Amino acid sequence: MELLLANHGSYPRIGDSPGQQRLRRAYAQHERGEITSKEFDAIQTSMIQEIVQEQAEAGLDLVTDGQIRWYDPISHFAGRLDGIKINGLLRFFDTNFYIRQPVVADQVLWKGPVLVEEYRSAQAVSPKPVKVVVTGPYTLARFSILESSRYRDLPEIVAAYTDALTKEVEALAAAGATLIQIDEPSILQHPGDAGLVKAALSRIASRKGRARLLLATYFGDAAPLYESLQAFPVDALGFDFTYSRDLADLIARRGSDKAIAFGLIDGRNTRMDRTEEILLILQRALPKVKGSPSYLTSSCGLEYLPRDKAQLKLKRMAAVRAELAGRG
Amino acid sequence: MSRAKLKGLGIDLPTFPTSTVGSFPKPDYLVEARAKFAKAKIERKELEELERRATAFWIKTQEEIGLDVLVDGEMYRGDMVAYFSELMPGFEQSGLVRSYGNRYYHKPIIVGEVQWPGPMTIGWWRYAQGLTKRPVKGMLTGPYTVMDWSFNEYYPDRRSACLALARAIRREVEVLVEAGAKIIQIDEPALSVRPEELPFAIEAMHLVTDGLPAYFIIHACYGAFDAIYSQMLKLPVDNLDLAISHSTLNLMEMFRRDPFTKDLSLGVLDVHSHEVEAPETVRARIEKGLKLLPKELIWIDPDCGLKTRTVEEARGKLVNMLAAVKVLRAESGVN
Ligand SMILES: [Zn+2]
Repeated sequence: MELLLANHGSYPRIGDSPGQQRLRRAYAQHERGEITSKEFDAIQTSMIQEIVQEQAEAGLDLVTDGQIRWYDPISHFAGRLDGIKINGLLRFFDTNFYIRQPVVADQVLWKGPVLVEEYRSAQAVSPKPVKVVVTGPYTLARFSILESSRYRDLPEIVAAYTDALTKEVEALAAAGATLIQIDEPSILQHPGDAGLVKAALSRIASRKGRARLLLATYFGDAAPLYESLQAFPVDALGFDFTYSRDLADLIARRGSDKAIAFGLIDGRNTRMDRTEEILLILQRALPKVKGSPSYLTSSCGLEYLPRDKAQLKLKRMAAVRAELAGRG
Repeated sequence: MSRAKLKGLGIDLPTFPTSTVGSFPKPDYLVEARAKFAKAKIERKELEELERRATAFWIKTQEEIGLDVLVDGEMYRGDMVAYFSELMPGFEQSGLVRSYGNRYYHKPIIVGEVQWPGPMTIGWWRYAQGLTKRPVKGMLTGPYTVMDWSFNEYYPDRRSACLALARAIRREVEVLVEAGAKIIQIDEPALSVRPEELPFAIEAMHLVTDGLPAYFIIHACYGAFDAIYSQMLKLPVDNLDLAISHSTLNLMEMFRRDPFTKDLSLGVLDVHSHEVEAPETVRARIEKGLKLLPKELIWIDPDCGLKTRTVEEARGKLVNMLAAVKVLRAESGVN
């Protein structure tokens, strides 16, 4: 059973050394018009290069661009679609992080790739394959305000975002992305809408080409949804183990028909995860997982942690796998 | 019932007692002084002098506006959690974490047993109360919010971290009561973020308030209150400050299912808006509350701390709030 080490998605774009704060300074300079967009972009690229390197050095198999260019996981994609305006700040789940809320003001239309260039430029500087992460249509819809009369309700907004994301995924696969992660944290708050998410993913999956699709859930207990998720049209399922007492047992008992992204490293707390505890879960669950490869990752993106701790968490992932391999 | 409790504590308030949520904008001279102090360009003594001057300004301003229950304005606090975590043993500061856009902050980390370090707010409370005859509230950040806004490397889980913080914060409440504070507000803006954790947040509040002779207010500004409303009635406090005056919730329905059993602070000013609401707007918001609850249970305040507004905006909003309250008091035949 192959177990790859994968960064979840976001990564701290700032650290405590002056060099690691260059993006923060550049952001302010760019806002004041003191540097051009091109100069600002070059600094973003250099930060992506730095963190991609950091992930590779920690021993990861799959890296991300850390969403360094994103304002937040909601407005980055939604805000680049026709028909969407961006509103004020809104708290992102139970974090102390705030997103800008999209307003569906008119017909939602995909104007062209949003993430393809980001993927290409990250891959160009990365020694390891880059995993692409995009927020799914259901979560985008849940954070959106409906103003336009073109859409009547939540399912119709989900369908509109699904159209756009289907095209995006098709473009990403064509650009060579081999693993595309769709984040749907909102589904855990509204398990009754699982059917809606499944239908949306079916449409997206129909255009994924040769890319693998990973559905990532987090910020909630996925155990109640576990059985229905097994029938979703994706290659792998991602779980946040920090909110659930039963999930590890459930996987060990029921097994999984799909590969699993084990979010066993706590992405929300600086405490170092215990290798022994993680090993116990992996040793019980992995033999029951049918899809391959599976992934060891954090419970959510690492941007909720300070940079030094995020880096230590990546190293801990590598230590867990080394220990696992050592025990055969 | 709460009115009787206040009387018992020697506090007599008019119908629709007016108050504020705690923080006021810092005057320019204080903002500058804080920046200089951060760069070690001035001494702590010099900063404290200006903090006292600003506190006195706000006490006088609140009296002029006509507020009934005053606050010290938190001129000496930056962040509502960091103020306490920087004073309490058991905490360290993390590296920078982003909150949105280009905004970053140092998040507290619990690295050892959290302890009460001795009085943290008494000096400021005494100073403020010494400037006025009206009651000044004691103001503390609650254990659940301190826990939720901190990393936890020491306690085995969130509940035990929260309860340990509650025991430490109770000590501060005890000395506030000893010093003479009769009304104490506990700020718990994080209270509704994980509804499944409300039982231990309530348990923590028992540790903070049980058996202490004071009128307790809990301020919880962000709200998924529909999910947790009926449980919130179990909080061992006298007054819930919920900032629901312009919420879209069907409060009528919620209150019919579970009758409201405490005093309610209505939160009738939108602190996030620059607009100074007209007295008629404020009055309409109060009247909305009056449809839900008898007037004896209602307190009037802004929906959160006013620290993000300018001094003039804050004053203008509060003046209009009091204008609306005066009309309603006159109409209901009380004063
Ligand atoms: Zn508040």
